[in-house]
Amino acid sequence: MWNSTAKHPIKNILFIGAGPNGFGVQGENDAAIYQVLPELHGLGYQVFVIDDNPYALSLESLAAQAFWQPLTVENIKKIIIQANIDTVVATFGGRRSMQIWEALAQDWQDDDGPLPQSLGLANPVVAQVNNRAELSTLLTEAGLPVIESEVAATQDEANELMRKINLPLVIRAQNPIQSHTRQLVSRLDELEQAVAEVRAQSLTAEVLISKAINGMKEIGMEVVRDFRGNCMQVGTSEDMDPIGIHSADSLSVSPVLTVQDPFLAKMRSYAFQIANLLQLEGLLHVQFAVDEARDLIYIIKVSPYFDQLASRVAMVTGYPLALVSMQLMLGTPLEKVYLPHDFNEKMAMMEPMMDHIAVKLPIFPFGDLAAAGVKVNRQLGSIQKSVGGTVGFGRTFVEALEKAIRSAHFNNRSFSPTYMAHISDDELIQQLIHPEDNRVLLFIEALRRGYEVDELAELSHVDEFYFYQLQSLIEIETAVERHPDQADILLRAKRSGLSDGLIARFWRTNFESIRQLATQHQIEPTYKAVDPSAGEFPENAHQYYASFEFEDESTRLSDQSILVVGSGAYRIGETVIGGYASTIILSELRRLQYQTVMMNNNSQDATLLPHLSDKQYLEPLEISDVMAVVDKENPKAIMVPGNRRKLIRALKDLGQNVLVIPKDKHLPGGPGENQSEFALNFFYDGQQAFALNISQHRDGELRILPQTDLDSVDLKDLSLPGPGLFQLVFHQQVTQPVAHVNLADWQHDSWLRPMPFGQIAFLSKATGVQWFRLVVRALLGQLGEGDYRLLAEAPACNVFLNQRMINARTDFQLHLQPEGDLDVTRFEMGVRVAPVEPRSHESE
Amino acid sequence: MQRHLILEDGSVFTGEGFGAPATTFGEIIFDTAMTGYQETITNPIYDGQMIAFGMPVAGANGIHAEANESMQPTIRGMIVHDLAEVSTNRQRRMNLDRFLKQYNIPGLYQVDTRQLIRHLRESGPQRASIVDYADDHAFDQLIATVLTNKQVKNTATPKAYANPGRGRHIVVIDFGLKHGILRMLDDHEANVSVLPYTTSINEILTLDPDGIILSTGPGNPNSLPESVLTLIRVLQTKAPMLGVGLGHELFALANGAALTALPAEYHGMNHPIQEIITQQIFYAMQGRGYVVDDQTINHKKMFVTYRDLVDNSIQGLRHRDYPAFSVQLFADGAPGPTEANVVYSDFFETVEDYVEQHS
Amino acid sequence: MATKEVLDQASLQRALTRITYEILERNKGGQGLILVGIKTRGEFLAHRIANRLEQLENVEIPVMALDITSYRDDVLDASDQVLLDSDDGINIVDKNIVIVDDVLFTGRTIRAALDALIHIGRPKSISLAVLVDRGHRELPIRADFVGKNIPTAQNEKIRVLVDEVDGRDAVEIVHAH
Repeated sequence: MWNSTAKHPIKNILFIGAGPNGFGVQGENDAAIYQVLPELHGLGYQVFVIDDNPYALSLESLAAQAFWQPLTVENIKKIIIQANIDTVVATFGGRRSMQIWEALAQDWQDDDGPLPQSLGLANPVVAQVNNRAELSTLLTEAGLPVIESEVAATQDEANELMRKINLPLVIRAQNPIQSHTRQLVSRLDELEQAVAEVRAQSLTAEVLISKAINGMKEIGMEVVRDFRGNCMQVGTSEDMDPIGIHSADSLSVSPVLTVQDPFLAKMRSYAFQIANLLQLEGLLHVQFAVDEARDLIYIIKVSPYFDQLASRVAMVTGYPLALVSMQLMLGTPLEKVYLPHDFNEKMAMMEPMMDHIAVKLPIFPFGDLAAAGVKVNRQLGSIQKSVGGTVGFGRTFVEALEKAIRSAHFNNRSFSPTYMAHISDDELIQQLIHPEDNRVLLFIEALRRGYEVDELAELSHVDEFYFYQLQSLIEIETAVERHPDQADILLRAKRSGLSDGLIARFWRTNFESIRQLATQHQIEPTYKAVDPSAGEFPENAHQYYASFEFEDESTRLSDQSILVVGSGAYRIGETVIGGYASTIILSELRRLQYQTVMMNNNSQDATLLPHLSDKQYLEPLEISDVMAVVDKENPKAIMVPGNRRKLIRALKDLGQNVLVIPKDKHLPGGPGENQSEFALNFFYDGQQAFALNISQHRDGELRILPQTDLDSVDLKDLSLPGPGLFQLVFHQQVTQPVAHVNLADWQHDSWLRPMPFGQIAFLSKATGVQWFRLVVRALLGQLGEGDYRLLAEAPACNVFLNQRMINARTDFQLHLQPEGDLDVTRFEMGVRVAPVEPRSHESE
Repeated sequence: MQRHLILEDGSVFTGEGFGAPATTFGEIIFDTAMTGYQETITNPIYDGQMIAFGMPVAGANGIHAEANESMQPTIRGMIVHDLAEVSTNRQRRMNLDRFLKQYNIPGLYQVDTRQLIRHLRESGPQRASIVDYADDHAFDQLIATVLTNKQVKNTATPKAYANPGRGRHIVVIDFGLKHGILRMLDDHEANVSVLPYTTSINEILTLDPDGIILSTGPGNPNSLPESVLTLIRVLQTKAPMLGVGLGHELFALANGAALTALPAEYHGMNHPIQEIITQQIFYAMQGRGYVVDDQTINHKKMFVTYRDLVDNSIQGLRHRDYPAFSVQLFADGAPGPTEANVVYSDFFETVEDYVEQHS
Repeated sequence: MATKEVLDQASLQRALTRITYEILERNKGGQGLILVGIKTRGEFLAHRIANRLEQLENVEIPVMALDITSYRDDVLDASDQVLLDSDDGINIVDKNIVIVDDVLFTGRTIRAALDALIHIGRPKSISLAVLVDRGHRELPIRADFVGKNIPTAQNEKIRVLVDEVDGRDAVEIVHAH
């Protein structure tokens, strides 16, 4: 009586990966696939993955057979036939892989054999979900509140629609020409001109008119459903920023705090209704617009696939969403879902409750770009501009917010408390109405200047709750400023999430003396478990965040632990790769039988997955946070990426055993237009350097030369900081790929640098040797004979390399509107791999 | 001002006072739900109790008249982690602090509620007091306190009242009902008579009800007079009957089952409830200190219709011979999921059938 | 033709649940009970009721399927052929029979079913459960268990969809113009 999408027996499952990273596609899809592969393998399925992202962890999983190929219909089809694929999972790869899968299904011919079933969403539903208009019709017919748009071909028709829909309206072009706009009409006299303008942007001189919902509150809800129609709510998130600002660019808060229960209950039942309507198995994210005063709720987005909210909800609730979804997709009823590892056996069917608050702070590229002299439009709108996000955990909103800000701090220069002090009143009002990236600081500045909460809430469409919270933050900061060296104030400040460093700055002292004062007065963090039962049941917790309360739930893991400090938030030019490296490092440490403790604050990669490390701290990565964890865990060593110079220095000063993974502060820029950058890549074990290969980088493309004679470069007298992968680099006027370079050229004009993580990832995939693992072994003095044999033979293997890494085409113009060109190597958002054989019709 | 929550086992939890500066005594329980603080503190089932909330912050929605589950809250104290400030003008006329002050209820915030809840889950409900000074005197007072077992009497209506509608005539026997029940009846356009639980069988039958509801209510079901059980035994043969919460517990008692007091009460909305007959799962707000003892069910007389899959507790019963059934959970939502609202639809369809068959 | 859904999947399921409880209530349990589903959709509904009885009472209730197309008095060449399927030749003598059908309309189908049943044995009792009663009876037949009463006009049709044959559960009113 209930349908399962798995109509046929499942034997061979293919995952379609998410492809290169870019705006809106970070590491969450790959992390989700990576997480479920071992479970599927354990259940006896043959599992296959296709992806062309060299940073894809799933391609390196031992539980699956990987196809490192461009994500094209052609390639996927070949794999399906070759590997006898009967079942495809497109929902884990996200929107892009759903679109590829639909294209493939349409392209499928009868003589190709039976089309594989799609797990979680039946094939026709995939098509329905991919098509906005069709989905909207489906929801409307089911009586669900969606925003309908109607077409008007003339001014009269537009007037008619206006009377029907009521102001405010959004007007867009139907069949738009290349460049088009959305016009917001909130006054009667604006309509005529808007319609005229937009009609000019339409190939058919038609406009689409719909209700404007700008200014409403935006809520995200994640639910799951099993094949019998049992639905469960996993988590919710509310955007502090109103609709009109892309949700990825909004400051988001979990759980929802400012919406009354009956409205949430209604959204929940809409989400369940949609899940049933689509007959889906697994997870569903529904995005809502809500206005309580006018008793309005609209469904604005339906995403029955793994996305950023899914990933974040799993992190902030501690609920293993990917694992549960996978089992639901296989046809397991909700109450029979089995959770591996140390999860509470009944956790899967209990709705997660949060007794803490998690704040996601978007990270914008503006600071990094400004530092490189690139001017961009900083105003936030309906097109995503953020390149990542941090998540701050706390027991209060202020604590969580402050920790999220601190998590972003080291790479978000403009987040300084005095940043807004010089803004004029006019400009302040302008930015309240047209917000930019630093609006939280703007709000604080406005409150400092005495603006009323009501007034601010009205101008910004941000719930007054947040202004009162920011007000209390100001009060705390003021108290700190006025009462230096006072223990009770220190406690209050720590409870509000302020770092020792910031307090030290207020008190004109250093971080150590704050630490001393805290120790003297027993002001120490109490770690709380991320516990989906909110205290109802004894939990077998592994995930903790710091608070300053009374009960500390975390006990030292072991005397053989290594603390791994993550890379934190993504920034432009530094996206998934940091998380990729941390994940491999964790895996290698476990292989070497160390207990691992992971510290990070990013929900968009795999680093915090519960099964990859023995314990996780969801924390900012400033020295005070790291030292607090060190005090608790007393690890044997702390592994830190080399770009965290200040942290490394501070930890060393405090006598810690720091193992540094060599890394530069920024990605190097690409070679000039008619140039190639050649790098001699080598591995250093702490004593000796081993040349590996030579790579050529030109025009957004990296390849490894087949050259094997690398002995002639002298690597003996280089001054290297410690074990790791490095490169000697020089530029030449070469525009074509070459097979060989004259090593004599290296003797002059070359410079030394750590090999960028992205290149290590590519090299690892290209050579089949996970070089990060060797770095870890070298740092721990555990390189074995096999390793040295490999190092000796590495250059000889170069002839077999046939892949190249290419910068993914990121639409910077759409997202950031930079003035001038961006260096896509320095500001890389994503890369992909492709076979070396250039095909004549391929345009790169 | 700093105030304290003291428990009879000697523990002290310190926080900042809000609401009324009163010193109160009551039994303390915890609630893990993330929403609906107003619905919960005004729910009469918590009469005489103190509630420790797991939600990280309370008060952010202000106070809204339509969210009340009774005319006035009768809890003895509210313990929260953080208290949100909201303005009291325009649509949010009232805030939580003022609301509690108005009813002379003390609140405590900036308490490590997670610690408190972890403590209470081990200890079970305890007598507790909110005080200015956590000294020997305060503890002596607490130990000497005898908590009332007259909660039903305190919260149930002493006088019959009507809520007229154009639909079926439903009699609600009031044991301290939450307003959600009336909202559900209103959704089905019922013509409602709410009667005190002391009303006689004859008086009720004279009203010729099409259906009877045994309402939710506070306290220990065993403390109600035997006459209530007799009333249920007779009425269940006369018209379709639905028992909710305390009404469910009384329905079970009337039909020969016994109740067990839970070692740690459950107040929350995240447990899966399974309907036995279809194996379907849904979620609902629960607030329970007692469950029907599985061993004491007379299976010749009753079906078990719903179970909580987390602790396997009985969440619903149905009489084999009469159209009479009951649910432990709050089928009206308010706060929480509304999936269980269909229990009321089931009830009304049963009423329709019954009327049809008997006309 | 305009179609309007009057019962969705959840309500259809609930109606069957309620019918199941009422059958147990009236029959004082599951003993001696046999469900006879009228083909096609009545049969599936009967199986669903049997599944429910099994979940609740842990007893297996026999289900028989009855094809009455050749037994209707309004079908011309009515033969004596009784099209009664069951797994293992269930004996209906002295049993409590519940006929299950999707829609009760004129009553002719049920009358044919009664004829067929009485033809093969003498049950203790026969009662009738229908998912939808749409009115317009031509015979003095009344359902003992009704999922939903849906008053209809003559020019309207009731369409019951069951997942087993139609791919989804629903009851729809179809207006024929």
